[in-house]
Amino acid sequence: MNEPLSTALIVLAVGMITVFVILSLVVFSGNIIIRIVNKYFPETSINPSSVSKTPIINTDLDSSKMAAIVAAVDVITKGKGKINKIEKS
Amino acid sequence: MDILQKLYDMTAFGELFQSPGTILMLLIAFGLLYLGIKKRYEPLLLVPIAFGVLLANFPGGNMAVTPSNSVNNIAHLTLIEIAKDHGIMNMLYYALIKTGLLPPLIFMGVGAMTDFGPMLRNLRLAFFGAAAQIGIFTVLISAVLLGFTPQEAGALGIIGGADGPTAIYTAIILAPDLLGPIAIAAYSYMALVPVIIPLVVNLTVSERELKINMKKQDKLYPNKTKIKNLRVVKIVFPIVLATMVALLVPSSVPLLGMLLFGNLVKEIGADTERLFDAASNNIMNAATIFLGLTVGATMTSETFLNSTTLAIVGGGFLAFAISIAGGIFAVKTYNLFAKKKINPLIGATGLSAVPMASRVANEIALKHDSSNHLLQYAMSSNISGVIGSAVAAGVLISFLG
Repeated sequence: MNEPLSTALIVLAVGMITVFVILSLVVFSGNIIIRIVNKYFPETSINPSSVSKTPIINTDLDSSKMAAIVAAVDVITKGKGKINKIEKS
Repeated sequence: MDILQKLYDMTAFGELFQSPGTILMLLIAFGLLYLGIKKRYEPLLLVPIAFGVLLANFPGGNMAVTPSNSVNNIAHLTLIEIAKDHGIMNMLYYALIKTGLLPPLIFMGVGAMTDFGPMLRNLRLAFFGAAAQIGIFTVLISAVLLGFTPQEAGALGIIGGADGPTAIYTAIILAPDLLGPIAIAAYSYMALVPVIIPLVVNLTVSERELKINMKKQDKLYPNKTKIKNLRVVKIVFPIVLATMVALLVPSSVPLLGMLLFGNLVKEIGADTERLFDAASNNIMNAATIFLGLTVGATMTSETFLNSTTLAIVGGGFLAFAISIAGGIFAVKTYNLFAKKKINPLIGATGLSAVPMASRVANEIALKHDSSNHLLQYAMSSNISGVIGSAVAAGVLISFLG
């Protein structure tokens, strides 16, 4: 077998094995990351029962801004929505 | 009469009529412009490439890229000397292409526009992105048997990765003389994905297999792990993957590292939005223009009109077709042993060409079962194909470069 052909065959073997190894690691590490994140950083969702029934409204907020927020919530939720808390993110 | 003769000599007509090869190259440029503008075949790259061909082949325009050799020693001149003696296109080519700068910059933009979400939700499908790289290495062997050097064969085979910047990056390092035809073949076949995938699928996949409904399979055999916080996973994933790849295949880092960096600034969100915007818009667009024009300018009649170009066009098609078939047969083999069946179209998308390959696979599936929306599943192997082809390029560069 001539040298270029044997080089090409080696590259075929090494190349395919490397691609499979890297993508196996992608799958493996992806699964590990998902498990760790699920365990330690699960998305915090608001539990409806834990939300205070009494509105907690930041009194520092400018009254005109407050009125705008209340109006926007009222329009979007067609009067059904209620503001429980206003926070700066 | 003398004045008329001088006026005629001032124009490019005289030189043009003496070289029919140049006229043919201009016709090829017009043809490529037609495909890019009218047929919308990858217009973002095909239009600059075609215009680069046009500029390079106007006699006296001094816009053609001059290959470096021992006589002109152009690669060792300063950029100012190159611009002065060989024109601005050569300056751009030797500064941006020959150094390998632009493909990684484009990869950064690609990363910023890529969503790893579909792949993370269907991680096991990522394996098929590996199987679909077989075309690269099969054509490498075929090209060596046809008399290409291993370096040229590697640059030809990478067309099967169906990833334009990867093909260009590999060609710059392994076979810079073949850059023009390789870039044209890579982007043309990527544009022809809607034709090539159905062709290979018709030859290799049965009607029954095409009807495998991915969502029904998911309901029958649901995934054990659900992602509870996708945002954090998407931020951590590119960091971990970049570290792993850098340790195992360092030669693929210029491409994959930049891809993952681009993806990271996208996933962080508002805090890095300006970086994301620069990577996916300004830098990406500028890099695409210069890449297209300079690659096009490498295609003069002397470098393009030869039997090697024909071999590259033929070999490129073969690499594409084998890669698609490789992915399909990997799925078929998997289905022999697994309870949860996978539609072989998922394997066909493992060759990159994101997201065109996934869209084509989705359309084929819908033709056979109108409820079989497999786009999200196809994107998994499609995105892993990008990683796979960049790794394959890294291996080729390490062994043959």
